[in-house]
Amino acid sequence: MAGIGTATVRLDGVAKVTGRARYGGTDVVLRNPAYAVLVTSAIAKGRITGFDLGDARAVPGVMDIFTYQNIGKIEPGKTFDGGGYMGTSIAPMASADIRHDGQTVAIACAGTFEAAREAAHRVKVRYAEERPSASFGSPGVETVAVAAVSKKHEDPKIGDFEKAFAGAPVKVDHEYATATEHHNPLELFTTACAWDGDRLTVWESSQSMYGFKNGLAQQLNIPPENIHVISPFAGGAFGSRGSLTQRTAIVAMAAKKIGRPLKLMTTRDQGFTIATYRAETRHHVKLGAQRDGKLVALSHEGFEVTSRPDNYNVSGTASSTKLYACPNVFSKVSIVHADRNTPGFMRSPPETPYLFALESAMDELAYALNMDPVRLRKINDTRKDPVSGLPYTSRSLVQCSEQAAARFAWSKRDPRPGSMREGDWLVGYGTASTMYPSNIAPAAVRVTLNPGDTARVQCATHEIGTGVYTVCALVVGDKLGLKPENVHVEVGDSALPPAPVSGGSNSTASVSNALAKACAEVLEKKRGGANGVIEAYAENLPAGADPDGVKKLYKGIPSFVRGENAKKNVRYAFGAQFVEVRVHSRTREIRVPRAVGAFAAGTIVNPVTAKSQLMGGMIWGISAALHEATEIDTRAARYTNKDLAEYLIPVNADTPDIEVIIVPERDSEVNPLGIKGIGELGNVGMNAAVANAIFHATGRRIREIPIRLEMLL
Amino acid sequence: MELTVNGRTEHLRVDSRTTLLDLLREQLGLTGSKKGCDHGQCGACTMHVGGKRVLSCLTLAASVREPVITIEGLADDGALHPMQRAFVEQDAFQCGYCTPGQIMSAVACVREGHADSDAEIREYMSGNLCRCAAYPHIVAAVKQAKVEMERG
Repeated sequence: MAGIGTATVRLDGVAKVTGRARYGGTDVVLRNPAYAVLVTSAIAKGRITGFDLGDARAVPGVMDIFTYQNIGKIEPGKTFDGGGYMGTSIAPMASADIRHDGQTVAIACAGTFEAAREAAHRVKVRYAEERPSASFGSPGVETVAVAAVSKKHEDPKIGDFEKAFAGAPVKVDHEYATATEHHNPLELFTTACAWDGDRLTVWESSQSMYGFKNGLAQQLNIPPENIHVISPFAGGAFGSRGSLTQRTAIVAMAAKKIGRPLKLMTTRDQGFTIATYRAETRHHVKLGAQRDGKLVALSHEGFEVTSRPDNYNVSGTASSTKLYACPNVFSKVSIVHADRNTPGFMRSPPETPYLFALESAMDELAYALNMDPVRLRKINDTRKDPVSGLPYTSRSLVQCSEQAAARFAWSKRDPRPGSMREGDWLVGYGTASTMYPSNIAPAAVRVTLNPGDTARVQCATHEIGTGVYTVCALVVGDKLGLKPENVHVEVGDSALPPAPVSGGSNSTASVSNALAKACAEVLEKKRGGANGVIEAYAENLPAGADPDGVKKLYKGIPSFVRGENAKKNVRYAFGAQFVEVRVHSRTREIRVPRAVGAFAAGTIVNPVTAKSQLMGGMIWGISAALHEATEIDTRAARYTNKDLAEYLIPVNADTPDIEVIIVPERDSEVNPLGIKGIGELGNVGMNAAVANAIFHATGRRIREIPIRLEMLL
Repeated sequence: MELTVNGRTEHLRVDSRTTLLDLLREQLGLTGSKKGCDHGQCGACTMHVGGKRVLSCLTLAASVREPVITIEGLADDGALHPMQRAFVEQDAFQCGYCTPGQIMSAVACVREGHADSDAEIREYMSGNLCRCAAYPHIVAAVKQAKVEMERG
């Protein structure tokens, strides 16, 4: 019988290949809908001094145009790090203030999309513009230590870094940089709202059904039970749909005012500024080692851009100081406030930039030591967090590295830079480690066993491409002895029992352990003589979670037991990335012909979807290394490549052969089912592996990504 | 105007500004074809017009004279086209949002004779972006379906 661990094709696959899968606010078919199009600001800092709406209102079919002057009262809401739900505290259309380029300033509503779009184009806005600060190094930015503004924040440190570094015989001391990136899920940031009296239904692709419901309730000042959020499928998310954007409440208010269901159609370029993104980062890494390769000193200082009012930060030093054994550690993270939209979670938020820096520096250290980089990492392997001293519940990094290296044929590598060549192409091999914390949060589910060996799962978790429909069916099938195709799964609806935000790679662990609990209850009832329809509702409060975790879950606030610090231990999934690059000896064109990744993440519920996620993650890492960057006009604090032609993401022809190896691992301490998350693991480290391979191919060490051919000339 | 979509002829009043994509999605309720950019950059809106793949977001509805086939009309009711089945079996998608466009492109790619090698499939499928990056599995699916399509 198929169950946990059985390779199973997606049960929602047929819906996705036939066009029957309906995505959030994009595909809902409303009765008699009106359409809305946003107008966004042409300046990054200043005030609106007036509107000229005459031309826009004259467009046939226009129903109304709303600005801060007539949209009504919308609460800005608190950001998630302040106990709220919002991705930004910048409340557009609450006042005349402009805090970033592309901020929403008006919403045009009409009977057709075409009329709404034309009206939006005819809205004229007058501004009093001030000079904005764009990014690192811009006049007017403000740099503050995260520890100074966040009580929860800790900069990991232990021992005496300065002394150990001063005395270390082999040293690396360099600065690294990562680019601004936007999630660019293929589904646009659409929203549809319909009122029935004082009850609101919202269709919007979401990673947080209960977060959206409760957040909107606060913004609109109505009871959460009056709000129903629906999103059976999300057309990509990658973090962009985890916190509530300010657009949803604006659409809800506009729908109420025009008295018709309203569908917001946003453009690709608006998506760069009405939602969040991965901010650019800078790093200063210092490593000191003995001649045998053992690290004696590690310092990692990070700098991250954020918006003017918010303190968003990813602080990946929580992971980068844990990866290797080292007795003397220093770290510090600072944020740089600029006139930008507030950044937010993007796939593996902390580890992606911070491990680019650390794993690049480790490669530099390997060269400084004249040592194989795989061996250097093995020498510095650890069973515990070197700062807190807490043990890893499991850690299979060395096994991953050995298996991937063998498969990749790493032994054929001549370590001398520029030594390997095939025709006109310089060949380089690179490697790096990946790690991602294994998080779990309280979740609630309902499982119903029907006569005739079918079952139903109900849970307000989210299908964002991760394959959660199939995961739920496999877990319940396994526990109740049913074929997974006989388990009907309902997700993506705030009327179902709550699941935590689908972020931090927690969903499979959180939901599956709750399902196992509900299934046990079903079987208990069955043993007790129940027959017919047997229903069980279960809440899972993971060991070590906030005792109020379930209450908070219903309020849309996740109570994570975080892998970085689970009180008695630390919990991470690990992996090793190996990649080959080819750099053309004359044009410096960079190609990636193949990559091998090996990953260990406890119980793998569905190897089919797990491999797809890890593979997709690896390609994301290659993309970060070679393709993706949001370019900023520093005079205007404006993104300049806000479309899919100029914001480069890999196409099929850019994509190499990818091999994913799943290394078996059992970990009964992380949670009863032994599940670690994998959605963000494949992404991490690959950026450094590519940069390291480029060094090996060319002898050129590039310490900022993406690496473009002009940097190798 | 008169428009044949998935074998059904519709008589429609169409705004001159309306694209084929918006007409099908917003007026005919055929939401299988997706909008990812509205600029012809992502391929999510790919459908067949007169048997050829077109970007429906760049096609004004009023200009269309030939029959239109969308993902909803690719196979007979209840059945799957070999390409649809191959996409499921090869796990050639994750979120699935680009998938209707990928499949319409892939069917055309095979019919055009542009699926003779992995490199050729990669090149001729490069007008369809997949942010989840299922590309290697898309190549596998096209190869699998090609055999079946050519067997007829």
